[in-house]
Order: sequence, then C-alpha cells, then structure tokens
Amino acid sequence: MMNMKIRQLSLSALRNALLSLYALFALFPIFWMILITFKSDAEMYTTTFQFHPTLYNYKEVLLRTDYFKAFLDNIIVSSGAVLVSILVGVPAAYALARYKFKGKEDLAFTILSFRFAPEILVILPLFMIYQALGIYDTYFGLIWVYQLITMPLLIWVVRGYFEDINVEIEQAAQLDGYPWYTVFLKILLPLIKPGLVAAGLLAFIFAWNSFTFPLLLSGFRIETVTVASLKYIASDTVHYGQMAVAATVAALPEVILALLIQRHLVRGLSFGAVKG
Amino acid sequence: MSHKFGMLFFIGAALLLYSCGSGNKQSHNRSGGDKSLRQAQEVAGTGGFRWDMASGSAIKVLLNQHPYSEAIIKKIPDFEKVTGIRVEYAITPEENYFDKVTTSLNSRTGDPDIFMTGAYQIWEYAGADFIQNLDPFIQDSNLLSPDYDIEDIYPGVLGTLRWDLVPGHMTGRGPLWALPLGFELYSLAYNKKVFEKFGLTPPKTMEELIRVCEKLREFDGKGTYPIALRGSRNWGTIHPGFMSTFANYGARDFAVEDNRLVSKVNSPESVKMTEDWVRLIKTGGAPAWSGYTWYQAGADLGAGKAAMLFDADINGYFQTGKGASKEAENIAWTVMPLPEGQDEINSNLWTWAIAMNKASRNKLAAWLFLQYFTGAEYSLWSALEMNAVDPARKSVWNNPEFQAKMADREGYYETFQATIDGTRILFTPQPHFFETTTEWAATLQSIVAGKYTSVQEALDILKRKMDEAVEDVVIE
Amino acid sequence: MQNDLASSAIDYGKKPFWVQARPYLIMAPALLITVGILYPFVTAIYYSLTNYSFRTTTFRFVGLKNWIQMFSEPEFWHAILVTGKYAVASTGTEMLLGLGIALLLSRESKFTRILRVLLIFPLMIAPVIATIIWQLMINNSVGILEKFLNLFGVYDFPWASSAKTALLTATMIDVWVYAPFVVLLILAGLQSLPKSPFDAARIDGGSAWFTFRTLTLPMLKPFIYIALIFRLMASLQEFAIIFALTKGGPGNTLMNLSITGYTTGFAYLKFGESLPYVLVLWLIIFLISRKLVSRWLLVQQTATGN
Repeated sequence: MMNMKIRQLSLSALRNALLSLYALFALFPIFWMILITFKSDAEMYTTTFQFHPTLYNYKEVLLRTDYFKAFLDNIIVSSGAVLVSILVGVPAAYALARYKFKGKEDLAFTILSFRFAPEILVILPLFMIYQALGIYDTYFGLIWVYQLITMPLLIWVVRGYFEDINVEIEQAAQLDGYPWYTVFLKILLPLIKPGLVAAGLLAFIFAWNSFTFPLLLSGFRIETVTVASLKYIASDTVHYGQMAVAATVAALPEVILALLIQRHLVRGLSFGAVKG
Repeated sequence: MSHKFGMLFFIGAALLLYSCGSGNKQSHNRSGGDKSLRQAQEVAGTGGFRWDMASGSAIKVLLNQHPYSEAIIKKIPDFEKVTGIRVEYAITPEENYFDKVTTSLNSRTGDPDIFMTGAYQIWEYAGADFIQNLDPFIQDSNLLSPDYDIEDIYPGVLGTLRWDLVPGHMTGRGPLWALPLGFELYSLAYNKKVFEKFGLTPPKTMEELIRVCEKLREFDGKGTYPIALRGSRNWGTIHPGFMSTFANYGARDFAVEDNRLVSKVNSPESVKMTEDWVRLIKTGGAPAWSGYTWYQAGADLGAGKAAMLFDADINGYFQTGKGASKEAENIAWTVMPLPEGQDEINSNLWTWAIAMNKASRNKLAAWLFLQYFTGAEYSLWSALEMNAVDPARKSVWNNPEFQAKMADREGYYETFQATIDGTRILFTPQPHFFETTTEWAATLQSIVAGKYTSVQEALDILKRKMDEAVEDVVIE
Repeated sequence: MQNDLASSAIDYGKKPFWVQARPYLIMAPALLITVGILYPFVTAIYYSLTNYSFRTTTFRFVGLKNWIQMFSEPEFWHAILVTGKYAVASTGTEMLLGLGIALLLSRESKFTRILRVLLIFPLMIAPVIATIIWQLMINNSVGILEKFLNLFGVYDFPWASSAKTALLTATMIDVWVYAPFVVLLILAGLQSLPKSPFDAARIDGGSAWFTFRTLTLPMLKPFIYIALIFRLMASLQEFAIIFALTKGGPGNTLMNLSITGYTTGFAYLKFGESLPYVLVLWLIIFLISRKLVSRWLLVQQTATGN
C-alpha cells in the first residue's frame, strides 16, 4: 500500500515536472517579450534581467504612432471576417452534415483545400482583381480574402457538430409545427455552440495574425497590427522594445477572448468526431 | 472521392485563358503614360512656377519604414498647406517594401503616385516602363522652382539615378529617374575606447585590418568579437564594404563581350579579394555572421559587442544619437582599409530616392512633392532636426550648424569628405541585379561554411550561375 | 448511440429538382465567396505557361518552358527535399509533443486547469513576430539562450547561422508557435472520450500502457488525423518563419518550395518562372491532404464503431 502511494506520488511529480518543463519552453519567450517592452533601445543588447525599466516604449507606440488605428482596423477586419464565415459557413456546414448529395465530399474537401493554398500563389492575381474591382485597401476586400483563413476551419468543426446531433430531434421539432428558422436558432444553435465558439476563436486568432494579405492588399487607409508591429524594425535600428509592445498589445484581444470562452475552448474542438 | 472534375475544370479554364494568347499589361492601363505628362505641363501653363499650381489634387505616396520617411511625414502638413495638395501615405516594413512597390507598379493603375526607391531597383523598374523620366520636369522652367538648384546635389549621387536603360552601361548618363532623399557611403567605424585600451591605431590596409582582428578576439570576454559585417542571404551582404573592397582590389562584376554580359567574379583579382574577405570573416567576424543584416551589424557595434563595423557610414551614425546605444560616445570613423599599394578609395553607394509612377494620373502634384522633399530647405531641416543622413546636398554639408552637429562624431565628416569623390555605384547595371547578388551572397555563405574545396572552385560555379541569370540580356 | 450517417441524413436523391438543389442553395453563399478566390488559381496556371515578368511590359505564351526548366534545376529537387524535411521534422515533433502534453494535461488538477489556458498563448503571437523574438533570444552575443547554454559549458552554439543547425532552429520556432494547436485539438479529443470502456479496463487491471495502446489511441485517431492534416499542410508551405529567420540560408540550406517560389517571383521578378514551384507545392499539398482526409473519414467511422 505504502509503496503504491509513493509510486503514485512520484509519478505525479514526474508528470508535473514534464509539464513544467514544457510550460517553461512555451511561456518563457512570452515572458521575455513582455520584459523587453520595459527596456530601452540602449539597454536592449547589454542587459538581461537587470535594467532600468521604462514606459518609454509604451508611450512611443500607443501615443506617438497610429498604432491604435491599426488596432481598430484589425478588430473590424478580423471580427468581420469571422462573422461572415459564421453567417455563410454555418448553413454550409449544416448542408454538408444533413444532406446527401452529389459531390458532397468533393465540395467539403475543396473548401478545406483553400486553407492550404500557398498565399503567394494567389496574391498577385488577387491584387490585380482587387484593383480592377476597386476593393483594394477596403474593409470589404480584406474581409473577403480572410475567408480563405477563417471559413474552412469553421465549416469543418461545425459540420462535425451537426453530424453529432440526432436528426430525430430536428424532425420532432418540425412536426411540432415550429418553422425551420426557429428550429435552427432555438434547437440546433445551442447544441453547436461550443464548437462554433472554439472554432470562431481559432479562426479569429489566425485572421488577427495574418500578414501577407493585409500587407499587399491594404496599407493607405487600412493597416493591421502585424504589419504595424513590423514597422518598428526601422532602417536605423530595430526598436525591439516598441515591437514587443505592439505585439503584446496585439495579443490582448485574443487573450481576453480565450479567457472568456475557456470553458468551451477545449471541448468545442472535438469536431464531433467521437460520439458516445 | 473523385476529383477528376475539379482537375478538368482547372485545365479547361487554363486552356480558355491560353486562347487569349500573349498579353500586354498596358492594355489594362486606365491612364498615365505620356499623356498625363503633357497634361501636367498644360495645367502648369507658361506663367512661371507656383507652388499652388496643382491645388485641389490628391496624391498617394508609398514609403519604406526609415528615418527619411519619418521626416517626410512630419512635413506633409506643411507641404499640404503650401501646395493645396492632399497627401495620403502608407509605410511598409523594409523587409517587404519592394514586394509591395512591385505589385503596385505592375498593376499600372497609377497608384501610388510616388514611391521610395534605390538605384538598383531602377534597373528593373525603368526597363519595365514603371517610372516617369524626370528630365522633362527638370528642364521646364514653368515646372521647376527657381530656388531648387539641382547643381547643389552631389553629382555622384544624382548620377546614380541617371541611366540610359542599356544593361552594361554604367549609371550617370541617360534620363533622370528619381531624386535623392539621402545616401550612404562605406567606411570603417570603430570603438575608440577599445582601440585605446589595446593600444591600436585604425587599420589602413586589409592586412592591417586582419592583424587588428587577431588582437581583438574576445576583446571584452565571451560574446565579443572584432568586426561586424553583413552576411545574410541577400544582396545587402554584397553591396556595402564587400563591393567597395572588391573594386579596390581591381575586380569587377561584369564585362561586355560580344554584346553580352559576362560575369568576371572568377577573375584572379576577385579570387584574391574573396580569399582575404573570407579570412577577415573567419578571423574577426561574428560567430553567427551568416545571419547578419544591417541591424545586427550596427547594433553589435553600438552594444560594444563588436569593436569595428565595416559598413555604411550612417549605420554607425544611427548608433550615436543620444541614448541610442551603450557605446554611443565611443564610436569613431576612418576611411575604409585598402589593399596593399592602393591609395585611391572606391566606395559603392546606396541612395534612397523618390520616384514617380509612370502611370500616375497626378503628375504635376507628384512632381511638386518630389521637388519639395528633395529641395534645399527641406534637406537642411531633415538633416538638422531629424536623422536624415547623409544629406545629398553640398549646401547642407557646408552649413555650420550641420557641421557642428557632426563634430561630435569623431572622424565622420573627414571620412565623408575623403571618400565622397571616389563614391559611385560599382555594380554594372543590369536588370537581374537582385538575382546575381543574392546568388553571390549565398556562395559567400557556402565558402565560409567550408562547402567548397577552394575559393576558385566556388567562384567558377558562381560565374556560371551569374552568366545564366543574365543570359537573356542583349546589349544593342 | 451513433446512427448510421447515411440513414440519418436526409436523402433527396429522387426528389424534384428544387428539393435536390436545396443543399447546393444553402451552400451557395459559402461557395460563391470561395469561388471568387478560385479565379487566381486558374490564372496562376495560365501565367506559369508564360514569361510573365515584372520587368517587361509584355509577356507571351512559352508553353512548358518554365516547367521543364524547373525540373532540370538541381535547386528544385533540393527545395523538394527541404520542404519534406521541414514538414516532417516540425509536424512530427509537434504531433509527439502535442500528444504527450495533451495526455499530461488531461488529468484534472489546479495546475493543469491553469496551464490549459496559458499554454495556448504562443498561438496568439503572429509567426513573423515570434521569429523575431526568438531571433533576439538566440543571438550569440546578446541572446538569453546563449547565456543559458553557457551554464552547461556550451559556447557559441551556431543556431540559425550554421547549415547544421538551421533546420533545428527553424523547427524549434515552428514547434513553439504551433504545438499548442495540436495540444488543443488532442485535448479536445481526450475530453470527449466515453468514460465506460476506461472504467472497464481499470477493473480488468490492464496496464496503463495497454489501455493507452488499445483504447485511447484508436479512439483518439480522428483527432490526431485532423491535427496532422492541418499541421502538415501548413508546414509544407511554411514561409513566414524561415523567411524571417534566414531568408532560406545559410547557403541554400532552408530554401524550400515556398521560399524558392517567392524569391524567384518577387525578389528576381520572374513571376512566370516562380509559379511552377508554388503550383507543385500546391499539388503536393492537395494530394497528401486528400489521402489524409479520406483516411480521416475512415478512422472516424472505425472510432465510432460503425
């Protein structure tokens, strides 16, 4: 008995040690990034943990540049992209889960394959189309192209959830005389919520951090935070501290969202793959 | 899952497009071209130059993240007030700046009207008919402000922005494609405190430089090293100290033979120079040299990790502002080391200039922008108040206030004056510049990594690659 | 409890046209949005058959010249090799590490509850920025990792600057950014596993390894596949991390298909010549992901016991 207890204890200690080791790897760079937001350029290369902390970088980024504007633009574009993906993606996921029709798996796969298109393959033709259509450097244009990033993930996760829902629940509600939209909103939506929320967050993160598309398809009127963060690599010197401020502030909305939905986060990504 | 349908669709659509045959990108051109140049001249009329002659128009300006553009942005409100022109601008991180310029110019929509460029890019862009020739503007007294004084710009600097579009012809002749905001030449920056401590004097020859490097290994303990040099897989590794030294050894990149460009990088001069350069890297370079760009090289000098920096004079300069770096007060400059027996300095040159999109629909307004931000008044202000160095105008260098500002930087002014006359672009202009120089940098990396048995072997292979790259260039 | 999909799905196979068209109509908006993006694919194929360049004003059809030229370049085969090595190294590490961490995290405790949220933070830093932060940490003269290695008597570890360790360094950054994604997906799978078979196994007294091998792993397979699909596809075309780290160097060490395509197209401005590289990459991704997706559909059915 005693032996087993010791074994169990040491086993759990080992587990925690391994986890801590990984946590160190995963979190140290983040800690480091936050640390250097308080470092001046002059001390960046000459100090590690002991230095004269300053808020200069924060002042420089938040007050003296249009970083805040980029931040707002990013919120508009990323949440707009996720919203559009939800509006058109959820019905599509429903169709893929519920109906049997010709070319279904092909369609599903085609949508997924957009996620895998090398960005530089599409960027030049896209640029020319955007110029021709007059949607270059517009919210609409960016929200559209972000669908490449957000929609496939969303459709694939939510589809699994729809497949998970017993079709009889739906039919029973319809027999009770509820119109289809009530069935959809009142019965189906709550059931897919965890998946929708978790996939929505991941889609938001990927859209939020996207770089190539906003770099080449916007810039004069609209700017996003990843592009703005890289501007602190000026030609005279790399303002690492200011870049770190930009990146840290840029991560805040994601962190807040993740904390808000942490309940759904893990469970929501089960893709409806294993049911039981 | 059958995907035959999808595949067929792609092939079908591709064939459909193929039936369109070859294409002319300009057919989609909405305007621009020479028509808009005449328009600009008509609007200006013959009543003489006025700053407000394009009042009411709007232009877009594409800028690279740089102290030069920070200065421009500060003065845009003044420009708008004086001219009545509305300016919209976008700043792009340097790493991706030219991707954006290329994509934008290639669309030929006239957007942006103005962009920042270097001289090497002109060799690609001018041939593609992306850039407006500025001579018609410069030569028209109705368009040129009477106090612009183009003679005030160093002829060597302005000359790098002139080119006759013939690959193999050096810069300095032909149409003017852009106007300089500022430029850099190459010299040796060093930490005078370290030199004092070791009782060293600044090296004058390459051999002396290597000997100094031997003495400065780990001069301040682990992690410190003698000399910072660029080494990343990029043209930026070739064009600063490397290319200047290359020319000082009497080597050249290309020669014209039978109306073709032929690479000369495997010449005896080039081999000798490369051997010495590799020895320099191995004796004195950073352990992580192959990752070094402008930033790491400059920062290491500023942080006291490197005792010397053989790079752009302004790279060291940016480390010397108040609070800019730990060693800000200890950095000094001297002319670049030369091979034994050579006393004439050849320095390569880089300039950030502003150019006009050929497809621009607002050429008069764009021209006023070019003039304002390369004019004498603005140049002086940006050099004094902002960090827009090295100014391309002699009047700024002769200004006592500017001289006083530079006096804190030991040897900077003198080094500049000693080098400027031998400063010009040392590369042979050709449209594949970025390909040949990137291959060059990759080869240098491989030599240092010991991938070749000899420098000669490596440069023979590089020569073949460069010849291949410029294969389609025919000189008429 | 799972019904057979085919019987539960509404089968409109023999219904009037408008009913048959219904699923297509519901999907129409999603398809319309994505089809707009399809057009560039088609033009990309077309341009790959021309000498389109940013350096000239005109271009013409050149047939398969770009393709033939690419296949005869040793750089192309090198790029294929680098692409494969990078994808296998990073995805492989991420899958193993992700599985391990997810298993460790699946036990309930205060520690794991906190870590489950904290550990996804790396995902929130844009890969380009992440690479720059890492670059600062691995810098030989000033980086914190150099100081850390010094404690173990290792000096001047070359990281990204040597051909021998560049791939390792890039992989490390890739793992840092994306392992949390794998952890998240596999954790989701672990939490959705039914309890009863595991209780039964415990009563039978099966060893932990036996339970893992015969119960957990097979039931987890669909999640492992999804994570594998998303990660493998993305790492095959990794651009941001490698480009920010070494631009493909030192020498040609990290020149994968994406970087070669980009360099040819945007740095050398030979757009027509660059497209075959990216199209080959796209084809590789397409074929592998198709294979994996059909495997996924299969294991999903097996896992659900149908």
